[in-house]
Amino acid sequence: MRAKIVKYYPLIPVYAGYFILFMIGKNLPGMWQLVAMLAFYCAIGQAFNIFLGMTGYVDFGYVAFMGLGTYGMALSIAYFYQVEWLGIGVIVIGLILAIIMASLLSMAVGAVALRLRGAYFAIATIGVNEGFRYLIEGAKIWGGSEGIIFSGQLSQAFGVEKASELSTFWADISVFLIAGIAAFITIYYMRGKIGYALTALREDEDAAKVMGINVTRYKIIAFITSASLAGLVGATAWALKLTYVFPPEAFEIHYSVEFIIVVLLGGAGTLLGPIVGGLIYGLSKYWLAVIVPGFQLLIFAPIIIVIIVAFPEGVIGMLKQRIKGTVLEKFII
Amino acid sequence: MLLKLENITKRFGGLIAVANFSLEINSGESIAVVGPNGSGKTTLYNVISGVYFPEEGRAIFEGKDITHLPPYKRASLGIGRTFQIPRPFSSASVRENVAVGALFGRLSGKVSVDESLEIADRTIELVGLQPHRDKAAGALTPVEKKLMEIARALAMKPRLLLMDEAMAGMHPRDIDGMVRFLKKIKEEENIAVVSMVEHIMRAVAGFAERVVVMHQGAKLCDETTEQALRDPRVVEVYLGRPPEESHA
Amino acid sequence: MIGAQLAGNLTQGLVLGGIYGMATMGLSLIFGVLRVINVGHGAFIMVGAFITLWMFTALGLAPIIAIPIALVVGMALGFIFFYSAMRRLIKAPELTTLLATFAIGILLEELIKLVFGSEFRGYNWAVGKITLPITVFPMSKIYAFIGSVAIALLLYFWFKKTRAGTAVRSVVEDSEGARVCGVNVGWVYALSFAIGIGLTTASGVLLTMFIPVGINPYMGGGYTLKAFVIAVLGGLTSPYGAFFGGLIFGLIENGSYTLFALIPGVEAFAMTRFLSFVILLLILLIKPTGLLGAK
Repeated sequence: MRAKIVKYYPLIPVYAGYFILFMIGKNLPGMWQLVAMLAFYCAIGQAFNIFLGMTGYVDFGYVAFMGLGTYGMALSIAYFYQVEWLGIGVIVIGLILAIIMASLLSMAVGAVALRLRGAYFAIATIGVNEGFRYLIEGAKIWGGSEGIIFSGQLSQAFGVEKASELSTFWADISVFLIAGIAAFITIYYMRGKIGYALTALREDEDAAKVMGINVTRYKIIAFITSASLAGLVGATAWALKLTYVFPPEAFEIHYSVEFIIVVLLGGAGTLLGPIVGGLIYGLSKYWLAVIVPGFQLLIFAPIIIVIIVAFPEGVIGMLKQRIKGTVLEKFII
Repeated sequence: MLLKLENITKRFGGLIAVANFSLEINSGESIAVVGPNGSGKTTLYNVISGVYFPEEGRAIFEGKDITHLPPYKRASLGIGRTFQIPRPFSSASVRENVAVGALFGRLSGKVSVDESLEIADRTIELVGLQPHRDKAAGALTPVEKKLMEIARALAMKPRLLLMDEAMAGMHPRDIDGMVRFLKKIKEEENIAVVSMVEHIMRAVAGFAERVVVMHQGAKLCDETTEQALRDPRVVEVYLGRPPEESHA
Repeated sequence: MIGAQLAGNLTQGLVLGGIYGMATMGLSLIFGVLRVINVGHGAFIMVGAFITLWMFTALGLAPIIAIPIALVVGMALGFIFFYSAMRRLIKAPELTTLLATFAIGILLEELIKLVFGSEFRGYNWAVGKITLPITVFPMSKIYAFIGSVAIALLLYFWFKKTRAGTAVRSVVEDSEGARVCGVNVGWVYALSFAIGIGLTTASGVLLTMFIPVGINPYMGGGYTLKAFVIAVLGGLTSPYGAFFGGLIFGLIENGSYTLFALIPGVEAFAMTRFLSFVILLLILLIKPTGLLGAK
């Protein structure tokens, strides 16, 4: 029994980190905005890491899962806001729809793309992302290219004050919660049979098959998990907060790239990596926008190139090498 | 009868890599598959482990037709394999690498992660890699990687172990130790070990009871080691004709 | 009536497709040799567009002159980026190379924005037009098409007849085998990357000859996506495949637009794009080596 609990020790720095972040945001004036953004990147980073980090497959269309999650929440609010007895259930339905829609898409993508390797997989995910977006716009589904604006419906369903609370405080808290859940799932996978399978297939997929690993099965499990969590983030951090959904934004590939950077910066496949990556990336983005507005990308781009070339294993990846043989090994993975 | 190959033919485009090959292996046998580069040994291994499916012929393992079974399913039946150039999961520790074998091999679904780690510990001790147990696999020396490769395959608790040039590049002293080790586990675990070697002299190192010589994709001969060493066909494949018969 | 319009659009599509195809040849060449997908592909097209714009508006030179200039500038950029970054990433996993090329693209976009600003610009190279029974072509478009075909042919001969070209082809087939035969694989990587980028930049010139408006630092993104579809159509590793893939793409793009426009309640432009990605996925599923690919 004790051995079982020791396995989860690495969650301690994770949750401690989130707690500190939350406290900073709550107690220091004016910091909540920044903290919410950082939590967002950490959460989506943790979610993405379950697939990108643990399998090594690059999903350029990852944002589509967030987009679908956003649509899930939007549709629930836009269609059920008048049903009195549902109350907060509208939001719950939105969350459930988000998970269902995101996982359905991931299963569809998985069926098509997961049999492809490397670059072919990456291109296929772009194909699904863009294809889905243009289908929505072209066939005028769910509001077509104009998207859905549901701030009015939200206010009608909950009253202006409560709606505003939902959009701000509760949406942001949810992001923290999702981050926590994602972290737990990550370590549960890492310590379990699935973690061994994913590490093996990431390192050498053909050798993994010969060792008895059904690589397709494990890839799909990681993919659906990662997609569902992304859907939840989309439903809260995007839908609830912004109260609109707009196809070009919901499927914008630049977001996928941001999330890839977060995972890579911190250390792909590690538990703490996405948090470190989210914090570094979020803070850099924020400060660069303040210090050198208009030039952030110009400075960021070469830095990214340098980091990719010189430090492919990320911050936590490098840290893990240094702390081998020390007590910290139990906590930093 | 552990493994039966019936008239296996494997083609790549116009090239025939394995031609009409048949073989029977029983539990606990130790066999050397011998042949120069290009004789089809690797392809044969790939057909047995499921990396390739043959165009013709059948493969039957413990009564089950495995000809078109995907590789990961063959592992749970009890077919284990090492690669000539070791393929470690570099970022994972030696212990974790070997545990993969235990977790997904013949005992797949019947052992927990912790039990697999225990099996890994025992197997690592068996091959003598104890001091490196927690090192990243990528940091091992080539010889250590070979040992880990074997340990990982053994942790799968195979009934049939396909070893690919396991002793290439080893010091003769190490080879003796390896041979003793293989004999021991073979007897203790009742594994049939098929060892693939390029030159027949390695098979002679007391390990193989039976030798199968391959030449250009076909089976040249299948006999005991002593017989094979004296077989003129085998000598010809490796040394050419005796001097008095060659043209001036 | 519809038939004439369709025929006209298809012809336009074929011509534009030739240019798209030529624009994608660089992408396929780089992937074929280095197994790297240049996600910053569109940014290099944009650079070519700006070279044309600047040479026309600042120096009064016809775009045709810009073609070789852009080729040279592109190759220079290719060598610079290869030796500073890409060389270290040859054996790296896809994640790193995809991100690296993406970051290079962003860097180019921001640099151009710094120098030229982010407004949309264009130019007007009036050299008359050709009137066919089914459609009208400004001469600039015809020149662009001729230019594309010429470059494609040049590349074909370079591959087949020169030592360097043969060396490149051998590396695409089997880099280890080529190395054993004495080919300086490192140099082949650098040269291929440089030529690939050069081709891409030159194609930017040709594209503006066809569409001389909407030139801005961020114009590349859409072209990158189109290039992916075309490259997959023609087989990701084959530059010739890319050219023919482009022709087919041009036909499909314009043809489907004409047909979608007839359906009420549907946004034709978006549906055309949707179709192109469906085709991408189908090909990846059924024949990843492309419609025209070999093994």
